[in-house]
Amino acid sequence: MSTGRLRTRTLIGAVAVVALTALSLQGCAVVNGSGDDPNTLRVMMGADTTYPKERKQWQQDVAAEFERTTGAKVQWETYSSAQEELTAIQTSVISGQGPDVYAIGSTFTPTAYATGAFVQMGSKEWKAIGGKDQFDPASFGISGPSPSKQIGIPFASRPFVMAVNKDLLAQAGIDSMPTTWDQLTADAKATTTGDHHGLAVAYADGFDPWKFVWGMAENAGNTIVSKDGKAEIDTKAVENAYRTYFDWVTKDGVVDKAAIGWNNAQALAQFTEGKAAFFPMTTTTAINSFTGTPVDGKYEFALLPTVPPGATERPADGIEAASILSGDNWVVADYGKKQDLSFDFIKQLSTPKAQLEYYKLFGNLPTNADAAAQLAAANPQLKPIIDAGKLSKPTAFTGAWSDIQLSLVDVVVQSIPSLKSGEVTDDQLRARLEAAQHDAQSTLDRQKNGGL
Amino acid sequence: MTQVQTPAPRAAEQHDREVRPHGKTPLYKRERPLWMLLPGGVLMLAVIVVPLLVGVFIAMLDLDQYTLRQWFSAPFIGFANFAEAFTDSPLLHSIWISASLSVLVTAVTVPIGVAAAISTQNRFPGRGLVRSIYLIPYVLPAFVVGTFFRTMLQPQGVVNSILHTDVLWLNGSASYWALAGVMVWTSWPFVYLLSLAGLQAVDNEVHEAAALDGVTWWAKLRYIIFPYLRGPLSLAVIIAILHNINNFTLPFVLFGIPLPSSVEVMPVLTYIASFQSFRFGLSAAMAICSLVIVAIPLFVYLRAVKLDTGDDAGPDRKQRRADRRTLAAATPAAAADIDGARA
Amino acid sequence: MSAFTTTRTRPTATLTESITAGGGGRRHKRPYDTDVTRLLPRWLLITVIAVIIAFIAVPVLYILFGSVNSDVAVARGEYFPSEFTLSNYVNIWSTVALGQGLVNSMLTAGAVAVASAALAVSTAYVLVRFRFLGRLTILRGLLALQSIPGTLLLLPVFVVFSNIASATGVQIIGTRWGLFVTYLTFALPFSTWVMVTYLRGLPKELEEAARIDGASSTKILTKIVLPLSWPGIVVSAIFAFLLGWNDVLFSTIMTTPNTRTVAVVLQVLGTTQEGGAVPIYGQMMAASIVCAVPVVALYLIFQRYLVGGLTAGSVK
Repeated sequence: MSTGRLRTRTLIGAVAVVALTALSLQGCAVVNGSGDDPNTLRVMMGADTTYPKERKQWQQDVAAEFERTTGAKVQWETYSSAQEELTAIQTSVISGQGPDVYAIGSTFTPTAYATGAFVQMGSKEWKAIGGKDQFDPASFGISGPSPSKQIGIPFASRPFVMAVNKDLLAQAGIDSMPTTWDQLTADAKATTTGDHHGLAVAYADGFDPWKFVWGMAENAGNTIVSKDGKAEIDTKAVENAYRTYFDWVTKDGVVDKAAIGWNNAQALAQFTEGKAAFFPMTTTTAINSFTGTPVDGKYEFALLPTVPPGATERPADGIEAASILSGDNWVVADYGKKQDLSFDFIKQLSTPKAQLEYYKLFGNLPTNADAAAQLAAANPQLKPIIDAGKLSKPTAFTGAWSDIQLSLVDVVVQSIPSLKSGEVTDDQLRARLEAAQHDAQSTLDRQKNGGL
Repeated sequence: MTQVQTPAPRAAEQHDREVRPHGKTPLYKRERPLWMLLPGGVLMLAVIVVPLLVGVFIAMLDLDQYTLRQWFSAPFIGFANFAEAFTDSPLLHSIWISASLSVLVTAVTVPIGVAAAISTQNRFPGRGLVRSIYLIPYVLPAFVVGTFFRTMLQPQGVVNSILHTDVLWLNGSASYWALAGVMVWTSWPFVYLLSLAGLQAVDNEVHEAAALDGVTWWAKLRYIIFPYLRGPLSLAVIIAILHNINNFTLPFVLFGIPLPSSVEVMPVLTYIASFQSFRFGLSAAMAICSLVIVAIPLFVYLRAVKLDTGDDAGPDRKQRRADRRTLAAATPAAAADIDGARA
Repeated sequence: MSAFTTTRTRPTATLTESITAGGGGRRHKRPYDTDVTRLLPRWLLITVIAVIIAFIAVPVLYILFGSVNSDVAVARGEYFPSEFTLSNYVNIWSTVALGQGLVNSMLTAGAVAVASAALAVSTAYVLVRFRFLGRLTILRGLLALQSIPGTLLLLPVFVVFSNIASATGVQIIGTRWGLFVTYLTFALPFSTWVMVTYLRGLPKELEEAARIDGASSTKILTKIVLPLSWPGIVVSAIFAFLLGWNDVLFSTIMTTPNTRTVAVVLQVLGTTQEGGAVPIYGQMMAASIVCAVPVVALYLIFQRYLVGGLTAGSVK
């Protein structure tokens, strides 16, 4: 009797399984945003812990203005790390439900493009946000693979620059900023005395290392990924870049040996203590961490060098890249039904007034050309930053970029034990470059959608 | 004659009824309330089994950022992902690292956890506080633990100054031990909690008898108490091993990505494949491979420890009689008493 | 023989006491040194406790010190703060929605703990005390479910839930209810196993006696098994609670800003921006202490149920 009941129960259970499975596999791959309030715009941005109060206030003001002009509300959602940003994109893309507008980091715009889930900006769309020409042309570098296929609307610019300790430089008798990587190394050597070091560099950071390598390679004409989708990691230019980067701590002694285990925050801490003369790879968003420290009032920003190591002049095919094109783009989700509302929102935040306000509160440079010009005129001390913005070059626009980035950092990660013991030999370096080349190429080969 | 072990007096009829139950069907087969299994079963089916099946299906697709949008129509590639996981990725190496790390960490946490449970078994002023302090490493969120241990393990950080060494903990070969150390620090309260529950099953009568027979604390622990812990500890060990194998957050925050090769643990590898390289199909295949590889020793363990079938109600009468014999062997003076009492 | 009889009456008295105390603990307090249930000599007890607390304390003190220090100083690697500031404890409430996160977490994790303990007891009871076809398979299956990594289930769960939402119109993702169901299901296999192990340690005589007297299974469960299994219930509830409290992976994708749990909020405090400011270490550490306090406090309250005093063959 009881076994009979069990069998019935098992049967019901089996039917339930089949039903649920069928339900979830039903061709609901692309679902229009159902269960979504059509009068609330969902906006996803990075969480801000540097200026939390100002951010909250700004969000309220923007939402109030938006409601006034369109009658719709804004629901703000945040991500706290790059991984979370990517997870949010993935879950939204796979289910067709999620935020309507994303403020996406420039590094991840190519990945977003690869999913095909974001609106491509045609002339109609550009008009809806107030025209394409209101933006600084340089800021479109990472909006899409080509000018006709763009998904990213430039929002904020955060170029990378060098923070320099004026006092330490004066003490060493240096009166002008280095413009070549070799000069930087030399100046760093001159400022390394006692417990002061020339450079504050973070070898164990998850992001910094590849930017140095990329910059030096670009200056030598190497863009890591060639136009026809071939990885260019196992090359002289890239090898030279790594060699310079490693020698800073092993041979030149301009970097504190402890930096082998540092992340960016720790290198910043060394700089704010006044123990380092140059702090490359920082942005204006770090200013908050400088206030109230020994280095406050004694530092200024400078462009990163644009002449490759081992040369006094940029070669003919070298690229004057002072920074990666870094900042935020707006992207509009293709799966949502609120695209018009999204464009209205972006339009509101692209006006010169809104852009200048955003700079004032958060230190991100505007991408609106008028706003940028006004800013440059009113703040001469911002000149290096604005120049860095103008001389920013995009990283290769490919869906494979996050993998390639990982391979570049991996070369450093695998070299850290050698750095600790004092030397990275040429053979070790070449072996790792070969491995990185192999990985990067296989990722590039997997590209679809017309070989981004 | 009533059994020696039963402390409270029993009515004679009750005892008789128990020794000869009604009818022919034994108690454990009559009136089975199997419906109680239903709520849990339905939940687990819907929230774990079905997604698992979806995951298996995804593992057979070429699902990456390019095909994510129409995932159902992503190209079906059968077992190609599995093949790639086995041959062209560091999966096997990472499973080895994860498994060895996990067994090592669990082995170290068992004595600590048991010692902690034993030390708070008896009442003393402040016991509640001590018990709660013991829980703290387990309660702290993993990423916080990872963050501050990362700072402490810096080349010129606290750990190196306390130990007066200059070891590179966060990279290179020492990173394996650093990760093991941190995992031990945060996971030993797990064994502690389970042992604590298990210790409560010890009859007071056993304590009384042991005290009467003048058994030393170590003999008492080893021969009387530890057998009670066998069940909970068997469970604790296997669960702790599984949790440690799948522990993603701690290595991720401690070492960042990409991982140094000596701590290339499996969950971070699958995470990188899925959320960094966007190869969902490959990542699902990797996870399933590791699942299968882990499940085999799991079942061997289950059989060896008889965790699945052992349903004795603690040490049964036979075991208790054996306990008394052990005690008697340890203290011959009491043997006469016991034999006399059983008459 | 007379000595033995005397011994037999004494335990009965205390055992009856502990039954009438509701199985919650021994009322009869004895000073430590004469407590016959004591397991370690006093000197060893103190040594063990001191060593373990020292083992715990060094890193925990680091967090405590870090929470009253400045962020840059922590980045520099300072252990003992050179400057004390309590501003972190004030700022955490406004930097992120910590208060709301705590409320959400308490609701979700608390509900998960209670529900999972209840379901675990009933499921374990059936699995341990009865024989039926598939029993061993279920037991093994529950354990095997523990070996599934969370990252494997992340996207599929999301897919299943969003498809249910679009098929039935019932929104699961983003609600506390959805998170509760997910965590409950993840906590169940382990909670059940804890209760299985624990129930095996309970003697069957009590239940069998009650069964003979005609009690139904539900009655046996609630009136006999439940009061005796408090230690197991507390432990499995703690684990279920911690799962709901500390899990990050699923709560980031399944919550909206209103239903965010404290684990997600804490992640925000660990935010860094490339080339940006120093992470707000001080606030992160202060918040993690604030987050740990409710759990430890709850445990402090409930750990008094973790006492022995099991009986065998006692009166109803």
